Amino acid sequence: MKKYSSLEYLRLTKIQRFFYKIACFFVGIPQFFKKIGLAIVKFAKKFGIGVKDEFKDLVMTFVNGDYKTRISYAIMGFGSFTRKQYGRGILFFLFEAIFIVYMALAGGYWISMLPSLGKIGPHQEYDPIWDVWVPAYGDNSFKILLYSVLTIFFIVAFIYTWRLNIKQNRISEEIIGSMPKRCLEKEKKQKIVELKKNNPDLSTEELSQKTKEIEDEYNQKIEEVPSKPLKSTKDDVMSLIDNEFHKTLLALPVTGILIFTVMPIIFMILVAFTNYSGQANGYTNHLFHWVGMDNFNTVLVWSNSGGASFSATFGEVLAWTLMWAFFATFSNYFLGMIVAMIINKKGIKLKKWWRTVLVLTIAIPQFISLLYVNKMFSYTGVINGVITNLGGTPVHFMDDYAEPWVSRLTVILVNIWIGIPYLMLIATGILMNIPADLYESAQIDGANVFQQYMKITLPYMLFVTGPYLLTSFTGNMNNFNVIFLLTGGAPTMINTPPNAASVGSTDLLITWLFKITTTAGSKYYLASVIGILVFLVVAIISIIVYNIIPSNKNEEDFQ
Amino acid sequence: MKIKRILMVSCLASGLLLTACGPKSSGGGSSGPIPIDPTVPEEARGTYAITMWGSEVEGVEELFKEQIQDFCELNPGLTINVTYEAVSEKDSAAKVLADVDAAADLYCFAQDQFADLVQGAALSRLGKVAQDAITANNDAGSVAAVTSGDYLYAYPMTADNGYFMYYDNTVVKANHLNSLEDILADCVAAERTFSMETSTSAWYLASFFFGTGCVSEWTTDDEGEFVAANDTFNSPQGLIAMRGMQHLVKSEYYVSSSNAAEQFAAARQAAVVVSGTWDYDKAVEALGEKLGVAELPSFTVDGQSYHLGSYSGNKLLGVKPTTDVKRARVLSTLALYLTSQDCQEERFDAVSWGPSNKVVAQMDKVTANPALAALLKQAQYAKPQGQIPGAWWDFAKVLGTVAAEAAQDDTAALQAGLTSYAESIDKVLHPTEQPVWALVGNFSRDSNNWWNAATAKRMTEGESGKWSTTVALAADDEFKVCKINSTTVLEWAYGASAVDQTASTAAAAFDLTGDNIKVLTAGSYLIVMTGTGVELRSAIA
Amino acid sequence: MAEELLNTNTPEVVEHKKDKRHMGLTASRTISNTVIYFILVIMTVVWLVPFIFLVLQSFRVESTGMVGYIIPEQWGFNNYVNLFTNTKFPKWFMNTFIIALATAALQTIIVLCMSYTLSRLRFGGRKFLMNFMLVLGMFPGMLTMIILYRVLADLHMTQQNSIPGLILVYAASSGMGYYVSKGFFDTLPKSLDEAARVDGANRAQVLLKVILPLSKPIVIYTLLTAFMGPWGDFAFASYIAFNNSNGMNVAVGLNSLISTPASIGKNYTMFCAGGVVVAIPITVLFLFLQKYYVEGVTGGAVKG
Repeated sequence: MKKYSSLEYLRLTKIQRFFYKIACFFVGIPQFFKKIGLAIVKFAKKFGIGVKDEFKDLVMTFVNGDYKTRISYAIMGFGSFTRKQYGRGILFFLFEAIFIVYMALAGGYWISMLPSLGKIGPHQEYDPIWDVWVPAYGDNSFKILLYSVLTIFFIVAFIYTWRLNIKQNRISEEIIGSMPKRCLEKEKKQKIVELKKNNPDLSTEELSQKTKEIEDEYNQKIEEVPSKPLKSTKDDVMSLIDNEFHKTLLALPVTGILIFTVMPIIFMILVAFTNYSGQANGYTNHLFHWVGMDNFNTVLVWSNSGGASFSATFGEVLAWTLMWAFFATFSNYFLGMIVAMIINKKGIKLKKWWRTVLVLTIAIPQFISLLYVNKMFSYTGVINGVITNLGGTPVHFMDDYAEPWVSRLTVILVNIWIGIPYLMLIATGILMNIPADLYESAQIDGANVFQQYMKITLPYMLFVTGPYLLTSFTGNMNNFNVIFLLTGGAPTMINTPPNAASVGSTDLLITWLFKITTTAGSKYYLASVIGILVFLVVAIISIIVYNIIPSNKNEEDFQ
Repeated sequence: MKIKRILMVSCLASGLLLTACGPKSSGGGSSGPIPIDPTVPEEARGTYAITMWGSEVEGVEELFKEQIQDFCELNPGLTINVTYEAVSEKDSAAKVLADVDAAADLYCFAQDQFADLVQGAALSRLGKVAQDAITANNDAGSVAAVTSGDYLYAYPMTADNGYFMYYDNTVVKANHLNSLEDILADCVAAERTFSMETSTSAWYLASFFFGTGCVSEWTTDDEGEFVAANDTFNSPQGLIAMRGMQHLVKSEYYVSSSNAAEQFAAARQAAVVVSGTWDYDKAVEALGEKLGVAELPSFTVDGQSYHLGSYSGNKLLGVKPTTDVKRARVLSTLALYLTSQDCQEERFDAVSWGPSNKVVAQMDKVTANPALAALLKQAQYAKPQGQIPGAWWDFAKVLGTVAAEAAQDDTAALQAGLTSYAESIDKVLHPTEQPVWALVGNFSRDSNNWWNAATAKRMTEGESGKWSTTVALAADDEFKVCKINSTTVLEWAYGASAVDQTASTAAAAFDLTGDNIKVLTAGSYLIVMTGTGVELRSAIA
Repeated sequence: MAEELLNTNTPEVVEHKKDKRHMGLTASRTISNTVIYFILVIMTVVWLVPFIFLVLQSFRVESTGMVGYIIPEQWGFNNYVNLFTNTKFPKWFMNTFIIALATAALQTIIVLCMSYTLSRLRFGGRKFLMNFMLVLGMFPGMLTMIILYRVLADLHMTQQNSIPGLILVYAASSGMGYYVSKGFFDTLPKSLDEAARVDGANRAQVLLKVILPLSKPIVIYTLLTAFMGPWGDFAFASYIAFNNSNGMNVAVGLNSLISTPASIGKNYTMFCAGGVVVAIPITVLFLFLQKYYVEGVTGGAVKG
């Protein structure tokens, strides 16, 4: 492949650059992996140095700090408090107090149970007086896992805060100048000691003379160390709406994400290495335990004995998920674009009306339209009614007796019905931005409508909507509503392994995951494994595509 | 096709008919029916708020509420405020097991979910009184449906899940009714379909195997785990069943469906639909005078004919375990009452649910139900469903596809299907490849790990299938030897009876008289599982 | 742009003014326009017919099941009356309405905080935060449901108390959906902030007094999408309601009306009536605010 110099590259049109980048991508794949490897090595090195620096700073702060700083190593916030930064001091201290009390009362217990996830399980006991069996419960694996994760979060947060508290002391001492002064003082003494050591034959007078010189020099330096007042608590609070305003604004969103997304994801990743299920829920029936890589083996490793293997079913569902995402994305994309173009065509009247009709269908909640369309396509539904009236044979479109491919095709078609309005909107907006002179010059060159489309419209659209196509593709991979409400996965696959939860031919990984968690036995551990694999697939596709698509996302460009 | 398998029914089941119609009646026990005591002790009476999940069928909710009201009237001082949610019996287990804590106190469910629920500890074991009453008052199939290991876990409510044949009597000639091949020929001649859900449902497909005398009987333990299977599908008889099934599924006029309303109205109209009593009204509506109802026919392979069998099953009422003994007592007595003779009769009157109670089953009004005749005739070929693992339905239904795809009488292909089927059964019984022997008990390592396979002390496999481990034991420790996989105890080597004391054992160190092996003298011991028994030796330093 | 898009004759894209020179094309243009009108009419029918059917079915009185014809033989309001008297539909509707209102308010605040910060403030860890959320977004959200359910159950926020639980679930993680909104803030000129800062305003004042008044379109877009979300959610809502008919939203409730073959025969027309009742307020709201919606969707797609 010809490699362009940067000057040559700048001469290319946007579209040429786009294709050039695609070509570069494929040529650069080996380089890409090499880059990733190097990046990891670099990161590890940086991390190592970072850790080393942290420890060095910890030690040096202790050595050079005053008693306030040193006590802060044990009692957090002591330094801040005694330096009259009461707000910070109290917060640091409270955090430490809460942490110690929590760890003593609960955290220690949870962490100690983490390796076993519980020892005593439940059982039923007979009560002869009332002639009933009553359950007796033991440990709770679920809570152990959950609170262990939270406790680990808490410990990490504590270590971070402790480190912050030390750093705070150092910075405070630097601001008020006490630490630099002390350093100079030490240096001075050392110099004097060295002086004596290095020059044992000096006379007392000479010695005191030289000592005096050194002292004067250093006293001068110490005098010159600047000393500024520390921020008061009021300053701290005020900065939260000014220089530190991002902290105020992000507090709520980030907390929400941490509790409702990060924590559950970590938990579910851990679940993939246990046997947590509806029948081993960790408390009322059986404890659950660590099982290592067993679940990944079940889902991924091909086994040939005893009927269908889980990995084969997983492969089939994954293949259909990718196929679906591809067709759902691109069928909508191209048809939506075409619809936008024909509505925009000169001479077409009632443009507003045509658009409003399509846009309105977005307003109607999907569960209504999808459930209704599902019923329309059912064996006794309206569509088969029409077919019968026309003398045809009723078709099983997407129930359990349907042919898998009929069902899949129907879903893709119905999805076009759902998706075109969105794409029409998006495409209209973009098409209006294509410079009209491009088309003019194309026409002068004698290009017909199709050629104009292929040479101008399509490349431009692709260029602008590259990132959108990617999110749309991954969004479709996880398009729960359309599949679940439309077919529920039907028709059920014939040859499926145990635990596959009646997976169907139109099930995506995401609906399969839902089915696994909501059918009898709720194999949460399999759901977790599938969830993790979905993540990996999405991540891999994203990495690849991000490297192909041209970057038009330079944030600062807009502002 | 769980929907098809579970079935909402308006009539009697074959399981019950078995006992009703023949001398075979073994009942649940040798004694006759015993009256139940619908009262709870005075101290337990009070006000209870309970939730109940039951059928969405019209009239069921009202009836349950009425009967609960009656129950309260029998117990002055007892008030039960019931919240009823319509939950289809086919969905119960899934919803209950998603969160046992939040599930209803009383819930109705179809038989096939029983083992799952026992495994999930979502069913309270029956007390002695209730156990005796259920065993005495219900037919054997229904009792088997609520039994796992040594205990009963639920209350049989109906016994009416079975199937037979609806047909168009203008197409199928009366003298052809007992031969599948003749009926198919009639269908072909009239260009009408034969509808039986053999390709997508093992519930129907099993019919052929039962016809040739095959069985699939599973045993569950006290925990609801499947521990053994007596399954003869993979046998010469099974091969005959497969070949017989090919006669049907390879026919051009075969449709895999059990939906009578749909198939009798379809453009390519059915002449025969195999379905249950729940479809009777719809079948009458569709065919009117032309409707015929008959037992299933026989099929012929190699000149010998085999009568198609069928399944018969129940709907059950379960009680969620609760730690409050009074509440547990009230709920269990209430459940017993709701499934008693009187309540089953009321239910039959109101919604035509076929009773599992032996007395009600023999009442004239019940046996006079019009759809009953065919089911009654089919009953002698029916097998009670018992406990079947959920996975079985998934891998057994594949046999229908195998039969359809293999060439007629291609025994190699059919046998391959059966072999794969047998392997799947093995997989269900032995979920991990290599179970290991291990010690469980309250010996020094853990204070108590009787129920816990994961913390058991695992043995290592030595030469010639011997398993051994060295363990430090304290005086008064008790333990057992068992076979486990990563999650569950599969098999116990029962206590002292299994111990083979050789000359070198520390004979005085153990008390072998109890159920468990009890340590008398502390020390380090070598425990060996030889395959025939357990050996206890002093560990050699 | 969006306003033009819907209300005016948009600038022509595919063709241009100088076409008139090629008079020979007129005939073919007439033909192609006729074909296009034909396609558009067919499309209108295909897109609207299901909803028209839905409305027609909801007025059918003679039977309640699924039928193979469209126009009812007998018309009436029975299904609507039944829906409001014999089912818990009013409860479901109110649940959903409360959830939607609260979610809209909370989500809008959260999304605006997040997107404003990421767009217009520069601070350490900003890139990391954005990349982190990008990666988080690749995990299927469905996965978190299992544990969130258990946690909410422990807090008694499930079943009949599902409203606060669902609001939390919908709103809490909404910060991750900041892209469209950030795209909007990116387009506001930075000089606005700088001018205000020079005048001595602190950052909070810049947001409240300068940026927020300019943000009406994006605020309305966020409110609208956040409000519409809960009406269509099925998976989370069914999980959290856990079979308790008092805790369901409209999607789960109406679905429970037609979940088994027996109940389809009994409740199908009632389901259609429910669909109409739910669709009307949303559609009316949407109709009024659609220009903001269109703007958000188009803007969001272009900026990725």
